[in-house]
Amino acid sequence: MVDAFAYVPAIVLLPFFSFVVALAAGRYLPKGGAFGGIAATAGSSLLSLWVLATVAGGEAYNETIYTWASAGGIGPTDIELTFGLLIDPLSALMLVIVTLVALLVHVFSLGYMNDEGETGLPRYYAGLGLFTASMLGFVVADNLLMAFMFFELVGLCSYLLIGFHFREEGPPSAAKKAFLVTRFGDYFFLVGVVAVLATFGTAQFAGDGSFPALADQALSGAGDVAWVPGGLELGTWFTIIGLLVLGGVVGKSAQFPLHTWLPDAMEGPTPVSALIHAATMVAAGVYLVARMFGFYALTPTTLAVIAFVGGFTALFAATMGVVKDELKQVLAYSTISQYGYMMLALGAGSYVAATFHLMTHAFFKALLFLGAGAVIIAMHHNENMWDMGGLKERMPVTYWTFLAGSLALAGIFPFAGFWSKDEILYEAFVHGLNDPLLLGGWVMGLLAVPVTAFYTFRMVFLTFHGEPRSELARDPEPVRWNVKGPLTVLGSLAVVAGLVNMVPVQKLLGIDGIDFLTQWLNNDFGGIDGVSYSAYNDLLATYGGYAPAELLGLSEELTLLVAAGLSLGLAVVGVLVAWRLYNVASPTEHTAKLGGIKDVLYNNYYLDELQVWTAYRTEDAAGGADTFDQGIIDGVVNGTSSVALAAGSRVRRIQTGLVTHYAAMLTLGLLALLVALGVSGGWFL
Amino acid sequence: MVPPEWYLLLAAGVFCIGLFGVLTRRDALYFLMSVELMMNAANINFVAFALYYGDLTGQVFALFVIALAAAEVAIGIGIILVLYRNFGDTDVTVPTEMRW
Amino acid sequence: MILEAFIAFTFVAALVVMVAPDEWAGKLAFGLSLAPFLGSLYLWSQFDAVGNALTGGTIAFESRIEWLEVGGRSISWFVGLDGISLPLVVLTTFLVPLAIVSAWTPIDTRQSQFYGLLLFMEANLLGVFAALDFFLWFIFWEAVLVPMYFLIGVWGGPRRKYAAIKFFVYTNAASLLMFIGFMSLTFALGDSVSSFGLPEITQAIAAGGLGTWFGFEAGTIAMAAFLAMFLGFAVKVPIVPVHTWLPDAHVEAPTPVSVLLAGVLLKMGTYALLRFNFTMLPDQASALAIPIAAIAVISVIYGAMLALAQKDLKRIVAYSSVSSMGYVILGLVVFTEYGVGGATFQMVAHGLISGLMFMAVGVMYNATHTRMVGDMSGMADRMPVTVGILVAGAFGYMGLPLMAGFAGEFFIFVGAFGAPSLPYAPIFTALAMFGIVVVAGYLLAAMQKTLFGPFRLETDYEVGRAPLHDVAPLAVLLAAIIVLGVAPDIFFEMIRDAAGPVVEGVSVDV
Repeated sequence: MVDAFAYVPAIVLLPFFSFVVALAAGRYLPKGGAFGGIAATAGSSLLSLWVLATVAGGEAYNETIYTWASAGGIGPTDIELTFGLLIDPLSALMLVIVTLVALLVHVFSLGYMNDEGETGLPRYYAGLGLFTASMLGFVVADNLLMAFMFFELVGLCSYLLIGFHFREEGPPSAAKKAFLVTRFGDYFFLVGVVAVLATFGTAQFAGDGSFPALADQALSGAGDVAWVPGGLELGTWFTIIGLLVLGGVVGKSAQFPLHTWLPDAMEGPTPVSALIHAATMVAAGVYLVARMFGFYALTPTTLAVIAFVGGFTALFAATMGVVKDELKQVLAYSTISQYGYMMLALGAGSYVAATFHLMTHAFFKALLFLGAGAVIIAMHHNENMWDMGGLKERMPVTYWTFLAGSLALAGIFPFAGFWSKDEILYEAFVHGLNDPLLLGGWVMGLLAVPVTAFYTFRMVFLTFHGEPRSELARDPEPVRWNVKGPLTVLGSLAVVAGLVNMVPVQKLLGIDGIDFLTQWLNNDFGGIDGVSYSAYNDLLATYGGYAPAELLGLSEELTLLVAAGLSLGLAVVGVLVAWRLYNVASPTEHTAKLGGIKDVLYNNYYLDELQVWTAYRTEDAAGGADTFDQGIIDGVVNGTSSVALAAGSRVRRIQTGLVTHYAAMLTLGLLALLVALGVSGGWFL
Repeated sequence: MVPPEWYLLLAAGVFCIGLFGVLTRRDALYFLMSVELMMNAANINFVAFALYYGDLTGQVFALFVIALAAAEVAIGIGIILVLYRNFGDTDVTVPTEMRW
Repeated sequence: MILEAFIAFTFVAALVVMVAPDEWAGKLAFGLSLAPFLGSLYLWSQFDAVGNALTGGTIAFESRIEWLEVGGRSISWFVGLDGISLPLVVLTTFLVPLAIVSAWTPIDTRQSQFYGLLLFMEANLLGVFAALDFFLWFIFWEAVLVPMYFLIGVWGGPRRKYAAIKFFVYTNAASLLMFIGFMSLTFALGDSVSSFGLPEITQAIAAGGLGTWFGFEAGTIAMAAFLAMFLGFAVKVPIVPVHTWLPDAHVEAPTPVSVLLAGVLLKMGTYALLRFNFTMLPDQASALAIPIAAIAVISVIYGAMLALAQKDLKRIVAYSSVSSMGYVILGLVVFTEYGVGGATFQMVAHGLISGLMFMAVGVMYNATHTRMVGDMSGMADRMPVTVGILVAGAFGYMGLPLMAGFAGEFFIFVGAFGAPSLPYAPIFTALAMFGIVVVAGYLLAAMQKTLFGPFRLETDYEVGRAPLHDVAPLAVLLAAIIVLGVAPDIFFEMIRDAAGPVVEGVSVDV
C-alpha cells in the first residue's frame, strides 16, 4: 500500500502551485486561473480524504521533515527550529474541512467573481490559493513555530484578499485594520513562541519530547525545564506562556477585544469572507488552542480566562448582530459569537465539543456566507436587508439551503449547530459549577442563545420573507450551477453533520457508538499517545480539578435533558420573537424602540472609535517623538556645528586684511613670547 | 674694541625705528623703507657678532642679506606698482580683499 | 592570493569605469561588477573556515604580507574571511550590480564618475570586511566615506551638500573617537603583541595581556576603550541618539546610493561592533549589558515611532532602518549563539530588504517625481508589478515568516529571550518585539495611502509602468529574500559556527 502520509506535503503544495500558476500565468488562462485553483483544492481534498481514511485505519504521523535552523540554546543542547508534519485525528479532520470548504469557495467564485465580470482575477485566485496553502500548512504543523509562521501567512493572505478591490477607499483600509489588529495579537503569540522555545528548547506539539509533555513532567516533578525566568513558579510561568499564545488566538479568532477587524473585513469579496470565517483564518485561532490543548490543560487559570472571554464574546457579539442592516454584517457578528462558543468549550475543557462546533460551524457558516453571496449576486451587490424581502419564491435553492444553515446557526434540533452548541453549554455547565469564571462564561453563552436565534431569523425573514421592498428584490438576477452546487453540498452537511456526535442521545437512550467524533478524537481509531481526549481529561483532572460537578443532586440524564431543553427552548424563543416581529409583509425597524441602546449596539459599543482613538494618539506620540528628534537630538548635532561656525566667524575677524594689523600682531606676539620666556626664565627677578 | 652691547643697542634702535614705521605708516613705500631698516638692523647684529667671535660666517650672512634686500626691493617695488595700478594709491589700508 | 585579486579587480574596474564614456558607463559598470559577485560565489563555494577568525579559528583565503613596523608593532596586509565576514562580502557584491542597474534611469549626468565611485566604494567595502589588520581595516573603513561623500554631494537632492557634510563630519568624528579607543587598547597591551593583527590583539586581550598604561588600570582602559569604540561605531550603525545623519543622508542620496548606504554601509557599524567591542572586550560588553540592551530597545521603539511620523517614503524606510539595527544590537549584547548569529543574519537580511524598499521607492519616484505620502494615491493601478514587489518587501520588513527578515529577527528573539548574560532579558526582548507591531502600523498606513485607493497624482505627465531594468533588480532581491527566509541555513550555519566562539568569550553562571 502506498503511504498516504508521503503525500501530505502535496496537500499543502497543490494550492501553493495554484497560487504560483495564477500569479505567473493567470492572465493567459481561461477564467483567470480558476480551474487551476479548483483542480488543486480538489486534489488536496481527495488526498485529505485518503489521509483521513489512513488515520481511521489506526495510523498517525509525527515527523520532522526539514530543519530550518539550529543553534545553541540556553541548555546544553541546541534548539532546533524545524518544519514537520503532525497528522493525527484532529489535523486529519481539519484537513478535510479546510480543503472541502476551499474547494467549494473556488467553485462558488466562478459564479461570484467570473460571472460578475470582476477584473484582477488572477490576483484573486492566486490569493485564494496561497490562503488555502497557508492554512493547510498551519493545520499540519507539528510545532508551534511552524504554526506561527503559517498563522502569519494566513494573515498576509487575508490582507491581500480583503483588500482585493484596492482601487476603492474602503477595502485597503479594512485590510490594513485586519492585519494590524491580528498582528497585535500575534505579537503576544510570538513572545509566547519564543518563551516556549526558551523554556523547553522545543516547540513540538506531540510526542515524548514535546513541550506539553515536558511541561507535564516538570509540573509533576518528573523532569525539569531548561529555563524559567527569574524566580517564577513553574505554574505561574506556564500560565503566562499560555496567555501569551492566547493573544494570537484572540486576534485571529476575533475574540473580544480584538474582534473589531472582522466586521470590517466584510469589504472583501464574499467567497473570501466564507473562507476566512468558516475554514481558514478565524478557525486558525481555535484550532491552535485545540492543537496545544495538552499544554492548556495544565494551566486551569488560562482555561478559565479562555472560557470567560469566549462566553463574553459570544454574548457581546450576538447583541451587536441584532441591529445590523447589512446581510454580511449580521453574519460577521454571528461568526465572532460562534467562535466565542468554541473558546468557551475549550475553556471548559471540552476539547471534543470545541472541535465539533468548529466542524459544524465551518459547514453552516460557509453555507450562510455563500448563500449571502448568492443573494448579493441577485441583488446586484446591494447588501442592505431592508431592500430585500420576498426572495423566497424567486431563489428557492438559496432559500432552503440558507434556511438550513440558519437553523443550524440558531441551534434548532436536529440541525448541526444544535448538537455542537448543546454539548458546549452542557460541558460548560457541569464544569462551571466548580469555577465562577467558567460559570460566568456559561451564563453568557446561554444568554447568547436566544439572541443568536433572534438575529439569525430576523435576517432570514427580512431577506426572504414578506414583500419585496425594492425593484432589485422584485427582479433578482438568477444564479447558476456554480453557485447552487456548493450551496447544496453545504446545505446537506449543515443538516446532517451534527449526527456524527450524538452524545446526549447516547447517554439518554444508551445506544453505544453514536458518539463517533468523541471516539475519533479519543484515538479509538488510532492516533498519537498523549494527544487525545482522554489524555487531556486526565491532565485536566490532575491539574485543574476539572471533574464533572455534583450536578446539584440531579442524575446525569436529567441534567442532560434540562440543559438541552434549556438551550433549545431559548433558541426557539428567539426564533419566535423574530417570527412575530419580522415575518410580516412589510416589517418595520423595531430596533428604534431600543433608543440609546441601539446606537451603542449599532456603533459596536464604540470599540472601533476607541481603537481609532488609540491609533490617533499613537500618531500624536509619533509626531511628538519626531519633533523631539528633529528639535532636540538633531538640534544638538546642528547646534554643535553652529557653535563651531559661530566661533569661527568671531575668530576670523582678526583677519582684517590690513598689513599693518598683521605686523602689529606679529610684534605683539613676539613681545608676549619674550615676556613669557623672560618670566619663566627668571630675567625679571 | 667697542663692546658688543653697543652694537646690539644700535641694532635694536634701528629695528624699532623700522618696526615703528611699519606699524604706523600707511604708504607702501614707507613700508619698503622701514623693512630695509629692520633688515639692516639684523645686518648690524651679524657683523657685530662676526667681529666679536672672529668668525667670518656672520659677515657672509650680512652680504647674503644685502643681496636678498636688493631682490626684495625689486619685488616690493613691483608689488607697489601693481597696487598703485589697481587702487590708484599706495595706501596699504585700501586693499583689504584678503581678509576672511 | 585570491582575495587580493578580488579586491584589486574591483579597484581596477572602478578606474576603468571612471574613464569610460558616459553613454555606456552604466552597462560597463554592471558587467564589471558581475565579476566580483561571481568571485564571491566562488569564494563561498571554496569556503573552508572553521570558527571565528579573531578568536583563533581557521581563516579562509588567509594572506599576510608584512608592510611596515611602527613602534615595535608590525602592520601587515592581512586579509581573510570567516563565517561572519563571508555573508557580508556576498551581500556587498550582490547588492552592487543591482544598485548599478537601478541607477540607469535616475542618474543622467556624469555617469562614468558615478559608477566609478560606486565601484570604488565596493572595493573598499570588501576591504573592510576582509581586512584582519587594524591599520589596513582602518584605511578601508575611512576610504569608504570618500566616495559616499561625493555620491551624495554631487548626485543628491536639493539639500545634498548639507546631508553630505553632515554624514562625513559625523561619521568621521566618530571614527576618530573609535581610533583613539582602539589605540589606547593596543598601548595598554604593551609587549604582549607584536602586530596590529586583529586576531593577535583579540587573543592577547583574552589571555589577560592588558596592562597598566599611563597610570590607568587595565580594567579602566578596557572600559574606556569599549565606550569610545562603542560610541564610534554607534554613529555608523546608527543607534539612537546618534542617528540623525541617517535620514538626511538617505533622503538626499540618489536611489542606488541609498540602497548601498542602508544595505551595506550600516552593516559596517554592526560588523565592527561585533568584531571589536563584542569579540575583543566581551567582559566589558556583558558588564554594560543592561544599558546597551536598553539603548537597543529604545532604538527599536523610538525609530519605529519616528518612522510613523514621517511623510516622505524614504524617511520612513530610513527611520525603520534605525529600528531594525536596534534588533541587531540586542542580538549582539545577549551573547548566545542565536543572538549573535541572528544579529549577523539580520545584517544580511536587512541589507536585502532595505535595499529592496529603497529601490522600489526609487522606481516610483522615477515615475512620479515625488516621494511624499500625501501627494499620490492608488499607485497600484499604474505600476502593478512594482507595487506588488514593494508590498512583498514591506511585508518582509514587517517580519513575515519565510522571508529573510523574520529569520533574522526570530533568531535574535530566541537568543535574547532567555539569555543568561543579560538580566531582565525576557522583558527587554518582549519590549523590542513590540517593534513588529509598530513597523506593521506605519508601513501599512503608508502603503494604504500611496499604493491603494483611487489613482490620484497632480502632474501633467503620464505615470506608467516602470521599465524592465528598473523592475528586474527588485524581483531579484525579492527572490533572494524569500530564499534566505525559507532556507536561512545557507548562511546561518557558517554564521553560527563563527559566532559560537564569540559567545564563549563570556562566562556566565547559568
